[in-house]
Amino acid sequence: MLTRPTTEQILLDLRDELLTTVDGAVESPPVKIAIQMMENVLRNCAERAAHEIAWMREEGDAMVAFAREVDQTLPGNSAVDSALGAFNSGRSESLHLDDVSATYSLAGHCFSAALEHAVAQNHVALHLKARSILDLRLEHENRIKGEWAFVGRA
Amino acid sequence: MLNPDEMPRRLGAFLTARAGQDATVVSYKPMIGGYSRLMARADIRWKDGRTETVVLRGDPPPGKAMMETDRDVEWALLQSLTQASSIPMAKALHYDGTGSELGTKCIVLEFVEGSSLQALLNTCDPAQGYGRHTFDLVDTMARVHRIDPNDVGSAIPRPTDWSSYIDTLIDRFRQAEAAHVESNPFLRYVAGWLQANKPAPLPLRLVHSDFQPANIMVDPSGDHLMIDWELAHIGDPREDIGYYAVYSASSGPSLIMSDPVAFLARYREQTGFSEEAVNLATLGYFSSLAAITVYAQVLGGAGAMARGLNAGILTTYTLNALTVGHSNFMAGCIPPAA
Repeated sequence: MLTRPTTEQILLDLRDELLTTVDGAVESPPVKIAIQMMENVLRNCAERAAHEIAWMREEGDAMVAFAREVDQTLPGNSAVDSALGAFNSGRSESLHLDDVSATYSLAGHCFSAALEHAVAQNHVALHLKARSILDLRLEHENRIKGEWAFVGRA
Repeated sequence: MLNPDEMPRRLGAFLTARAGQDATVVSYKPMIGGYSRLMARADIRWKDGRTETVVLRGDPPPGKAMMETDRDVEWALLQSLTQASSIPMAKALHYDGTGSELGTKCIVLEFVEGSSLQALLNTCDPAQGYGRHTFDLVDTMARVHRIDPNDVGSAIPRPTDWSSYIDTLIDRFRQAEAAHVESNPFLRYVAGWLQANKPAPLPLRLVHSDFQPANIMVDPSGDHLMIDWELAHIGDPREDIGYYAVYSASSGPSLIMSDPVAFLARYREQTGFSEEAVNLATLGYFSSLAAITVYAQVLGGAGAMARGLNAGILTTYTLNALTVGHSNFMAGCIPPAA
């Protein structure tokens, strides 16, 4: 397959075309706002296309490692055990996007159950560790979001 | 409303049937700025020579709405508030509750001369400050929260007590996560934190739920009129303070975060609520809690799109609002000391 230009580059080029060619030819205020929104979504998609598989893998590994640590430190929680069981039986090593996304979601359920258990047990170190994983996810989401505000709200 | 070319004829017939005299629509223009509903402005000439401008607020086509709310409920609430004269607002005039006349369920409202508070704020120089606008906004919020919940009658549900209401609201985080197409650890984390850190209660009041300057019209005399009541409910009034703090952090200027102490002091003065109930800690708490109403709607739209049941630029564009929500959840849920 052709990989260069990358999907990120193609989407950013589409965005430039939208702004330089299409936007200037449009006068309707509702359509101009829709163009601003499309510009933003194209930037979001470009950033996702460039990184999302790597980021889902990175976060997923951290989330499952956390759940296993909670399971070892505070054993016997049925929700954590059940989520880890579902992850182990449902995970996929495939790099196709749908498969990575499904595995990431299973990892998220493990993490949520483990986090709830750690917080309920007042385990401060695990609580803070979980927050650092949430911070990692948020950092990725913010890179996808970029500059953003509600356009056209006035 | 779905076909603007047809609307002058349809709206003319609709108004004629209700007013007992012929109405001619001399102009009809879709309006920008509304995210959840279709909006339009129409100029009317009546047979007796009077002219009038109205605003139409209708449902988007099926599968194109970024959030789903019920026009029947909104109409009932608007009627109650209009009749009670509880708060200055655009009068609710007519309703096509079936969509058979205007092409979609549609509320017809009085047009308000002036501009939105957001538009006025956009013209201010941040270095010079925002003058009277800050306290005007606080006072309008307090005025909403002073409304007697009895004024809205049975238009919207009435929770039985504060504690069970807050529990229900917190549970919406878990419900939103459970109903979504993928896991979302932020939601389960914040639900647990909110449950463990409940603040002092307040009396349940009318909550606008999308309290932000784009939903405040400022008339030529400077008076405020609240619009866009589709998410209004009876709840904890601090939801509106928290929501406004969250909203304005991403779509500024923020009239609260520049001096939250003064903002909250003015609010307490206008409502009579205590400092035990309205303070910086409860601002943080409700910044997390209040976001769930709009957040859940946006997340629902994203889930519907993932399932192939929804589409449109508003749905994809507002995905970023979920990230804004996550940032605020993390900021509001204070971690334990190491």
